[in-house]
Formats: sequence, C-alpha cells, structure tokens
Amino acid sequence: MSVRAAALETGGRLAEADRKGLNAVLAWSPEALDREAARVDALPAKGLLHGIPVALKDNIVTTEQPSTCGSRILEGYVSPFNATVVDRLRAAGAMVACKSNLDEFAMGSSTEHSAYGRVRHPMDPERVPGGSSGGSAALVASGVVPMALGSETGGSVRQPASFCGVVGVKPTYGRVSRYGLVAFGSSLDCISTFGRTVAEAERLLAVISGPDPRDATTVERPPLEPVPAPASLAGVTIGLPREYFPDDLDPGVRAACRRAIDRMKELGAAIVEVALPHSRYAVPTYYIIAPAEAAANLARFDGARYGARKSVDGDVRALYRATRGQGFGAEVRRRILVGTYVLSAGYHDAYYNRAQAARMRIVEDFTGAFASGVDLLFTPTCPTPAFKAGEKTSDPVAMYLADIFVCPASLAGVPAMSLPIGRSEGLPVGGQLIAPYFQEARMLSVAGTLERHLDAAAEVR
Amino acid sequence: MSVSPRDVQHVARLAELAVDDADLPALTAQMDRIVSFVAQLSELGDLDGVASYLAGPERTPLREDVVRPAELARTPAAIAPEFVDGFFVVPKIGAMEES
Repeated sequence: MSVRAAALETGGRLAEADRKGLNAVLAWSPEALDREAARVDALPAKGLLHGIPVALKDNIVTTEQPSTCGSRILEGYVSPFNATVVDRLRAAGAMVACKSNLDEFAMGSSTEHSAYGRVRHPMDPERVPGGSSGGSAALVASGVVPMALGSETGGSVRQPASFCGVVGVKPTYGRVSRYGLVAFGSSLDCISTFGRTVAEAERLLAVISGPDPRDATTVERPPLEPVPAPASLAGVTIGLPREYFPDDLDPGVRAACRRAIDRMKELGAAIVEVALPHSRYAVPTYYIIAPAEAAANLARFDGARYGARKSVDGDVRALYRATRGQGFGAEVRRRILVGTYVLSAGYHDAYYNRAQAARMRIVEDFTGAFASGVDLLFTPTCPTPAFKAGEKTSDPVAMYLADIFVCPASLAGVPAMSLPIGRSEGLPVGGQLIAPYFQEARMLSVAGTLERHLDAAAEVR
Repeated sequence: MSVSPRDVQHVARLAELAVDDADLPALTAQMDRIVSFVAQLSELGDLDGVASYLAGPERTPLREDVVRPAELARTPAAIAPEFVDGFFVVPKIGAMEES
C-alpha cells in the first residue's frame, strides 16, 4: 500500500472513531495527513516506521497542530517547535496521525479529567480507558492507529494499556528525550509507547530512544536495540512480589496472572517469590512528590508567560489567580493545592522530605530484588479491569489507588511494561513486567515470548 | 480534620489560584482526604539519614554550558501578541506597573 493510501485509510478510521463518539482525538485533519504522506514519500530512504500513522498524546508539542494538554488554559496553543520524539518519528518515516485526548496535564487515571470530555473505552463506552494516556490507548485498541505515544509520570501508559488490551512500555527514566513534553513531574516523566503487539511498541521505543542535547536528563546510552524473542524462557528468573498479589485482588485479574505465570514456567522460566515491602507506600509517596513537582512546573501557566489570559480588574496577582482559577480543571487545581501545601513552611519536612526518603526505600527494594538474582518482576498491572465512568471521580484517593501497582516502578525510574494476558468478563487484563535499569531489551524479549504463547483474547477464570 | 478552609485559602494564595467560596467546603474535604492519606508515611518511622533521591539511574552529568540556537517554526513576532524591536510588549498590568 502506498503511503498516501495509508494516510487516506487512517483518515477514514479517525472519522469513524469520531462518529462513534470515542472522543479519543483532539486534533486531526485529512489535509494534515495528506501533507504527512507527501513528506514521507519525499524522504530519501525508508525508515523503521515508513508510512505508519502514529498518534501523539496532546502533551507532546508539535508545530502543525495545537497542543492543549487537555486543558482550557492552553486552548488553541500551537508550539513554535516540535518535541524531539516527533522529529525522530518523522525522520523514521512515521506520519503524525493526530493528537490524542488525555487527562488534563496528564493528571488522572481514567481520562475523565479532560476539559474536552471523557474518552470512552473502545469495548464498553460506559467504562473508562484508563489514564492519563487514555486517548492514545483507545486509538490503538480500536485499530485506528497501530502505535501511539503517551507519557508516564505514575503509570499513565501501562494502566490504560492494561484496561484497553494493548501493549504499553515505559522506558528507564532518561532513555527518551522529554524536550517538547509539557512537564508535570520532572523527576518522574517518561515518554512511553503503545503498540498492538510487543514488537510494535518496541520498534517505536527504538526510534525515539537515545540521548538528546536538548534534554540534559537523557542518559548517554545508544538507542534501544530490539532483541528477538527467544523460543524458551530457560535461564530467566521471574520474581513475583508478594505485595502485588493481595487477598482482595480481583479474581479475574488473579486468574489471568496465574495462567501467565504457569505459561512462563512451562516455557522454562524459574519463578521465585520476592518482597518489595515499601511498595505499599508508593501511592502516598507519589501523591506528595508528583503534586509538589506539578505545583512548580505549572506555575508558568499564569496568563503572562503561557495560558489564555483572563482580563480582570486589579493587579497582576489578580490576573494570575483568575487565569489559573478559570483555566485549570478540578483535578489540576487540587494537585497544585496539595503540592503547594506539602512544600509550604511547616509541612515540608513532614511530607516532602519524608516522601523523598520513602522513595529511596522503594528504589532499594527494587535494586535488592534484582541483586538477589531475579531478572524480571511480574505483577498484575492493575488491581481490576477497566472500571465504570464516574465510579471514582468523587473520591480522589480511590482514583489514585488504581495506580497502586504501576506507581512503584515510576518512582524508582526502572523500565516496566504492560501486556495483555487474558480477559475477565470480556474486559482485558494486563500483566506487568518490571526490569532493572536499561534492561528494556531483555524485558521486551521475554514479553514477546510470553505474548506468542498466550491467547490474550481468551476469557480466564 | 487536618486541613481547614483557611489552610486551603492560604495555599491557594501561595499558588496564585482563585478558589470560589462555593467550592471551598468540597475542596477542603478533598484536600483533607488526600493529606490524611499521604500522612500514612509516618508509619515508616525514623527516616533520618536516608540518602536524598536523585532522579535517574545515572546522575545527570554536568555539561558544558553552550548556547544552542532553537529552530522555531514561527518567529517571536508571529507568536507574541506584540513584538517590537526585539522586545515582547505586554499589557500594562495594574499594581505591578504602579509599584
């Protein structure tokens, strides 16, 4: 198929998704797709992603479309530069298909907190696709695009990947440039990949990874080199952290995990139980550190530097307050307030400094487990399959706990991924693999072997 | 309750965020719920002496401070509401201009 034909078909699928009310897309046009196809056709050589349409979470800036972060405060904002990952995708022959919907400024676990409306789960519109990269996950799951970029701060790619039944990969912190990713929690943020298969998510990560002089936090390591999935898992030791299989784990999730573990054992892997005792503190730790960093990062959206300015009578502070008060949605306002609270005089030691120390304990748990001879950890990605829209919006803490199994790897900065491992009452269930720093290739090769030997569309009891 | 409406108003002022009076009771309750939840870190006991966390597996190295040109798709004049003689012109803003 020619690139132009692929662009045309992608446009047809995007229009159909719009008609169905998926609400996963914030910006796309047939004209922009046509321009992308012409640009790819003019490239001197075919790259790794030749002619493949890729969706971008709308907190990754592009010069061709608005970048709103799902917020009213950035309505209509068009960046004067492209994110590094966008330049790399395009150089590899990919077409930027669209900008995808997200929880406002990537703060949420259900994509219900977008100023542009909630994203529907592709298999059940009453349910959420997860978040905050719910638009990207829903687009891959519904076949609109084969690959998409999201971003993770505390599990925002792995969790929606699990809910939607696709593959989501978070690399080691610093593996992928964040130049052009609108900052949320700078010690946590990672651009991450979605694919229908392990190989697709891996190929996308290979293209975007590698150091970038424009992002001083990228590590001086070469781009990811994909490794073929081995025929067996002999010689691989998989650790099962007991804290991730609590008594109240959803029975369908437990059954799917059990089947995946049995399959890894049949494929030759050694399975051992390990302990990550501080993981139970990951969510409270995260909900101190991430809001604190967000409060600082989002200070720039004040109507003077960035953001749609609200005109008010009064001084400059009145302008800031009105712009921010009206421009940010409820969840973003809550997190800015919590972040400001935990950083304020009198509370800094009790909350922020304590969370930093707890974070070190979580890191030590992971390094200790891997030092004991475990190659990879396996856990459920989420405690339940996709929940219903509105089920958790009135209680922020209940929403935060949806990320209980994905937060720890984000805090530690280690690579982790979710892959589909079965269905429970028709809904996808994801299994999570977590690897030592920079061991993405090994993690993905094991995932590839498991994927090949597991019917992820099968109901598991 | 560990978070009071007054605390919320105080941090809202620090954060330069307008909060409607009508939203204050619900926001206070939610803030209190979140702050009480994260306070469970007190269970970890004495954490004095635990090394500070530094982001990333490889500490960010010091690099030469080199000015690099940023290639922009649009010039500042095209982005800003007003750009004159190399300067961004902003509206006169109340007390800041007068103080």
